[in-house]
Amino acid sequence: MTDAAPNNQPIAAHSPAAQLAIEIAGVQFNNPVWTASGTCGYGLDMAGLIDLNRLGGICTKGLSAKPMRGNAPWRIVETHGGMLNAIGLQNIGARAFVSEKLPELRNYDTRIIPNVFGYTIEEYIEAIKLLEDGPGIHAYELNISCPNVKAGGESFANDPRQAAAVTEAVKKAATRPVIVKMSPNVTDIAAIARAVEAAGADALSLINTAVGMSIDIHTRRPRLANVTGGLSGPAIKPIAVRCVFQAARAVRIPLIGIGGIATTEDALEFIIAGASAVQVGTANFYDPTAAMKIVDGLADYCTRHNLENIRALVGTVVLN
Amino acid sequence: MSATATPKQSQPIDAVAVIVRNELVTSASTRRYGYLRLRLPQPIAIQPGQFAMLKAHGIYEPLLRRAMAFYRCELINGQQEVEFIYQILGRGTQSLAKLEPGDKVEFLGALGNTYDLAFTRTTTMPEVLLPEALLVAGGVGSPALYLLAEELLRRGIATRLFLGGASQGDLCGLEDFTALLTPERITCATIDGSHGETGFVTAPLEAYLQTHAGQPLMIYSCGPDAMLHAVAKLAARYQVAAQLSLEAPMACGFGICVGCAVPVKADCAEGFVYKKVCTDGPVFWQEELHW
Repeated sequence: MTDAAPNNQPIAAHSPAAQLAIEIAGVQFNNPVWTASGTCGYGLDMAGLIDLNRLGGICTKGLSAKPMRGNAPWRIVETHGGMLNAIGLQNIGARAFVSEKLPELRNYDTRIIPNVFGYTIEEYIEAIKLLEDGPGIHAYELNISCPNVKAGGESFANDPRQAAAVTEAVKKAATRPVIVKMSPNVTDIAAIARAVEAAGADALSLINTAVGMSIDIHTRRPRLANVTGGLSGPAIKPIAVRCVFQAARAVRIPLIGIGGIATTEDALEFIIAGASAVQVGTANFYDPTAAMKIVDGLADYCTRHNLENIRALVGTVVLN
Repeated sequence: MSATATPKQSQPIDAVAVIVRNELVTSASTRRYGYLRLRLPQPIAIQPGQFAMLKAHGIYEPLLRRAMAFYRCELINGQQEVEFIYQILGRGTQSLAKLEPGDKVEFLGALGNTYDLAFTRTTTMPEVLLPEALLVAGGVGSPALYLLAEELLRRGIATRLFLGGASQGDLCGLEDFTALLTPERITCATIDGSHGETGFVTAPLEAYLQTHAGQPLMIYSCGPDAMLHAVAKLAARYQVAAQLSLEAPMACGFGICVGCAVPVKADCAEGFVYKKVCTDGPVFWQEELHW
């Protein structure tokens, strides 16, 4: 058994700890349920409402080399089964995260995965270098959906070569595993997934938000100041499941499923499609305990189906 | 610049509350309101100006809870009951409006900061003058000022309310405020003239500020953005300190969605940064807002 409890104590077979412990890119996770970037602050923001020790991992709010002010309001609008956001990646910067947030966050028995973004490859590297100074970080998640300002403003995520270039550069600078977060706003997600895998990505997380728009019919103005925004929540779940399914058939590196996961059943659907772990996002806003409920629900599922470990279910979708 | 933010007294609770009362009223302006009273499973500390995130229990849509300021709260035999007044506008408040006594509500609270009651901004005034608090509310903004009015009275601070609305039925909580403050200390204004002066509530407020220049006043205000902007201008013109309770669309209410951004003055090239209405507010000093 490679699974070990976080405190290195032996864990009983068929205990929830044994059922849910997983390994991704050499990192041991207590369970496969993480909170998604942009939906849990820097982790500590949720500490008053949930027990952070019960989360498999925490993907922080996207961090850049320098602090970002974010977009003008309005930044969010609820839509059917989801919401649009255009926060504008407001964040305190990688340096402040390491000095102000990390010392307290790393006291929790969870895995810390800073989400990192930039508008040039150099900016990604700069942010990674600042985070490399931080102890207790387990992996990085790259948000590659930002526009590449040196390449005409097209998103890194939309072009296999650009996606590979930023992945490769970050891999050279990072001593920790790199998870690349994929955008659904592409024609062929499998092609991007293959390019990113070839560039050295340790895992893929998918999906980021789907670009959407909402218009106030009375004023005829877009509801978001930014005009367009990212659609998240249960409304995008079928798109996300499809992306995980397609990526699972394209690459061998582990996948982390994201997109409208609010219940145990949602998480199971992603796991069956090919995800080794999942991230809970928008649900944190309206049910902060959603991730903890899913942890319990997955353990129950393993018990009911006599699974020694949840990994036995990964990618077991039945076709025909 | 330091925000008004007073440290929270306790962590918010995420709980299921039971509806004691949910009365719907319609104003002549066609606006509809719900007077909601909930019983909480445990007593919590609630500061004036704080709010809760509410959603009908067990419903799937809409997903997000709605932010509402605490109106009144009461401890009855150890049971905490809290009240809200909400305007029925979109899907969230429409689903709340369908609920009846005994139905359940998902409750997250108490959230946000509270008002500064220290009157420190008026200490340049002669100490012999007793301070007076001017509460300025528009429509469904008034509930956010009721607990404040109670606390001010408890502290022996003279309190006056300027309450505005489209029509008489939009003067939310007028009866309760009247019982608390007495009619002499309340000035109403309605757009249609159905109650009090005709026009915006900022007109009688300005008249009062003109006749009380030089006295130690503190404005506390909650209401539509346009009204708050007008109140902020008056406060600046008459050099009266003002605290504004803001409203903003928010997905979570506890600081993680960063949707409820408000520009606040800062020492940087652009002159402002975005703060969060939910955790940095909802109460801000007038002069710290970059409007």
